[in-house]
Amino acid sequence: MSKGQSLGVPDDQDKLLGEALKQVDKSSFEMKTCLDNDKLMDALKHASSMLSELRTSLLSPKSYYELYMAISDQLRHLEQFLFDEFEKGKKMSDLYELVQYAGNIVPRLYLLVTVGTVYVKAKEGSRKDILRDLVEMCRGVQHPLRGLFLRNYLLQCTRNLLPDSSNDELDGTVHDSIQFIQHNFSEMNKLWVRMQHQGHTKEKDRREKERLELRILVGTNLVRLSQLEAVDKSLYLKSVLPNILEQVVKCRDAIAQEYLMECIIQVFPDEFHLESLNPYLKTCADLQEFVNVKGIIITLIDRLAAFAHRSDISAIPEDIKLFDIFQQEIAIVIQSRPNMETEDIVALYVSLVNLAIKCYADQLNYVDDALKSTQEILTKKDMSKVGSNTSTGRELQQLLKVPIDGYDAVLTVLKLENYSSILKHFDYDGRKSLAVYLLQAILDKNEAITSWTQVETLFDLISPLLYDEADQPTDEPDPEDFSEEQGMVARLIHLFKAQAPDQQYQIINNSKKVFVKGGDSRVVHTLIPVVFSSYRLVVAYRSIQETDSKWFQKCERIFQLSLQTISELCKLAPEPSLRLYLQGALTADGVGNETIAYEFLTQAITLYEEDISDSREQVVCLTLIVGTFESMASLEEENHEAVRTKCAVASSRLLKKPDQCRCVAACAHLFWSAKVSDGNEPTECHDSKRVMECLKKSGRIANQCMDSVVQTQLLVELLNVYILFLEKGNNEISQQFLNQLIEKIKGNIEGLDKNEETEQVIQHFENTLTHHRQSKQQSEAD
Amino acid sequence: MSFFGIGQGADISIELSDSEKRKKVEVKNEEGKKDKLPLYLDGETVSGRVQINLKGKKLEHQGIRVEFVGQIEMFYDRGNHHDFLSLVRQLAPPGELNQSTTYPFEFLHVDKPHETYTGTNVRLRYFVRVVIIRRISDIVKELDVAVHTLSSYPDIINSLKMEVGIEDCLHIEFEYNKSKYHLRDVVVGKIYFLLVRIKIKHMEIAIIKKETTGTPPNVYTENEQVAKYEIMDGAPVRGESIPIRLFLSGYELTPTMREVNKKFSCRYYLNLVLVDEEERRYFKQQEIILYRKGDAKSARKATAKE
Repeated sequence: MSKGQSLGVPDDQDKLLGEALKQVDKSSFEMKTCLDNDKLMDALKHASSMLSELRTSLLSPKSYYELYMAISDQLRHLEQFLFDEFEKGKKMSDLYELVQYAGNIVPRLYLLVTVGTVYVKAKEGSRKDILRDLVEMCRGVQHPLRGLFLRNYLLQCTRNLLPDSSNDELDGTVHDSIQFIQHNFSEMNKLWVRMQHQGHTKEKDRREKERLELRILVGTNLVRLSQLEAVDKSLYLKSVLPNILEQVVKCRDAIAQEYLMECIIQVFPDEFHLESLNPYLKTCADLQEFVNVKGIIITLIDRLAAFAHRSDISAIPEDIKLFDIFQQEIAIVIQSRPNMETEDIVALYVSLVNLAIKCYADQLNYVDDALKSTQEILTKKDMSKVGSNTSTGRELQQLLKVPIDGYDAVLTVLKLENYSSILKHFDYDGRKSLAVYLLQAILDKNEAITSWTQVETLFDLISPLLYDEADQPTDEPDPEDFSEEQGMVARLIHLFKAQAPDQQYQIINNSKKVFVKGGDSRVVHTLIPVVFSSYRLVVAYRSIQETDSKWFQKCERIFQLSLQTISELCKLAPEPSLRLYLQGALTADGVGNETIAYEFLTQAITLYEEDISDSREQVVCLTLIVGTFESMASLEEENHEAVRTKCAVASSRLLKKPDQCRCVAACAHLFWSAKVSDGNEPTECHDSKRVMECLKKSGRIANQCMDSVVQTQLLVELLNVYILFLEKGNNEISQQFLNQLIEKIKGNIEGLDKNEETEQVIQHFENTLTHHRQSKQQSEAD
Repeated sequence: MSFFGIGQGADISIELSDSEKRKKVEVKNEEGKKDKLPLYLDGETVSGRVQINLKGKKLEHQGIRVEFVGQIEMFYDRGNHHDFLSLVRQLAPPGELNQSTTYPFEFLHVDKPHETYTGTNVRLRYFVRVVIIRRISDIVKELDVAVHTLSSYPDIINSLKMEVGIEDCLHIEFEYNKSKYHLRDVVVGKIYFLLVRIKIKHMEIAIIKKETTGTPPNVYTENEQVAKYEIMDGAPVRGESIPIRLFLSGYELTPTMREVNKKFSCRYYLNLVLVDEEERRYFKQQEIILYRKGDAKSARKATAKE
């Protein structure tokens, strides 16, 4: 509830309203009693005294509204009675004169409208004449609040009585209805605007609030116009809209202009708006300075965009160049308002871009034009380093996000020539957050990037993620955020999918050069996927070896590139680099390039020796090396021998006994299943003796373990390895030997304390024995 | 009066022709009450019969006469009646009446120049008077009739238009559709606000009746507000035009009378009043001429008899 000195505190309002309502109750009761007794004259007197309550100046708009509602409810009884009277044969024209003797204008006009309604229903006189008379007589109430409600009553009463055809000249046509409503509308609007200028300036805020509460009364006129069925496009263009717009401009009141312009958009159908864009938008340029024109145009654009999007594209007639019209008119609006905030200008272009994307998705130049215009304005205003948390910054962000979100394919954005030039106006944070947004969108949609040109453009847009920039904050970025961002860049690399391997090579090679510039903190994230893509490319070349005679050389070049890339990573991330070497070795092995494979392997081993110092890491890396080496097939004996010996030696040099034990056991495989090439066919080593040596050594190391639980566990594991080789046919391994080992384990177990850990070991042991027994039975059965 | 000479008295009753059929209208009498009187128009014949009923055996008289009188009476000077019309017919020469007798009478095509009127200070009446002249005291009987004067003003309608104002404060232009209205007419008009610098609260239009009696230097003027009608609520701004529509038939009005026999006038004014928020009143009076328009039938009848 609004308050103010002139209207008293809210409590007063309640009291005043309460008293008025009591009076209404009393008078309306008497009115109805008289109606029941057929005493029309007396009933009219009581109605008039009830209506006199509406003459008050003490109520706030809200209270007045309640009073009005109560009274208009009661007037319905009177109206019904009058209608019955008419049906009994009473002449409404007499009554229409009679009520005009009421001395006070407010009650008189309410009565006149009430009788007038019945007069129209009675079809006693010409409908248009009665309506015209009513709306004309209402001029007598110039008090804004009372006038607005009176005219609202007129609108309510005539709601279903307005002529809505085009052929009954005498009784009235839709033209008369339009005239009627527009007359009422312009008067109501004047009254509404006038409220602004009454009372003290210090109450401006309260007044504006009250006006906003009342705006719906004015808007109802437009709703009525839109409800006339005979108002079609051409009538709307010719008779309805021009008058409304004239009224809007003429009233020179920001609140009214803003509301009414929005109201027009809301109440009339989109098809009409499409046809009337020019006059509507021209009016926008003529509005008062404080009117939120941006909001109005945006509402319209968004609505039409949604409309076009919702219905078929053919909903927009060919001859209506929606985009061109908006673009022109927006330019005019901006020009006509030199004080317009930059953020508002940008917001307009956001909408325009939105429209272009929704309605003309294939016309990239539309969006580009809009971006260009924005860019020109930014340049003219000399705006650089726009803060990302300023309102202009937020609008600019929006401007660039709309295409990202709007196009089916995010990568379409890369075709927009002016996209990056807008980006240049952002500050660092702005550029970065947009880069993240763009990247995320691409990743979410999993869109393949197929050419270096695309990649290059994209890199330009996301450069804050790729390099250190001059204007970035001096303090360190949040490590979690940073690695997340770099993780995204890394994922991006996997989307580089050129059609032809040669192009893919170009992409990988070039992007590697870019990534290298990103500095140590970035390359650890970005180079790894580069290398992996390179390996994938090798596989791709191999699959086209029939058509590309130079595939082998090309692969070699890739391997060289990879070696070089990994070498840049070695110091920064030794362990991942080692894995990359090993993966490279496997890949090279896969294409049968022994030299390269060997090179990779030795690089891995060198790296292991030089840079892996943590004992735990050593175990992991060594296991990896052994595992990788075991599965390779291209090495010839000379190289093979060197590596496997190296592995065995490295295993026995590990720091901890259990690690030594396990790794030495693992090395046993290198002498059995590892494949040696003789230039053509790889064959497995099957060197039983050396296997046995490894295993024995492993056993010795196990026995050196002081912890009996660990020792037992190691022995059980070793037993497993023995059994494995036994089953594979290593004839150096005898059952007797196994039994010794089993007895040894059993003896160990007896000395163990029972706990969860030992339980596991025991269980493992028993499972092993069970397996062994079964496989023995199996082989005996065979 | 008849009880002066016992057995010598007589009752007089006057009966007007076609009194059953004749239209009756209400006229205020001296006490302010309304009587229903038969209505005559200018030029109409007044005729009827006088019945004299003897209370005794006989009645001596110096003659019997019937008069038709039009009279103006000032309430502050009751002794002095002014008869502007006096027609006399001898019904019987001096003699003696031995029985109740009936005399017909007729005043042919009487000019009745003025309309019956009862105001604050003055009254104009028409009556039929029968006098039995006697030596000591006459026996008199009067019967009032109402008279309406019908006018038909030329069809040329002059609207009343005027611009008034207070410099730099308020300028309005008002327009009434006519300057002459018949009594069942409707005043239609418009007020244009050309300049508004005061905070107007409301505007009303009043009908003021101004009755002037006497001759200079003894002139009495009575103003009476016959109607008060609010035509605007709230403060208009420059450029507004406010409609006026005032039905006259609901009010007690008479035709405008000017210098009736140089005795009195009754004029009507439309008073436009604007009231501002400090209850100051701004007004402009404009005389309008009211007249009685005969309905087509009675007007034709009156013409036919002339």
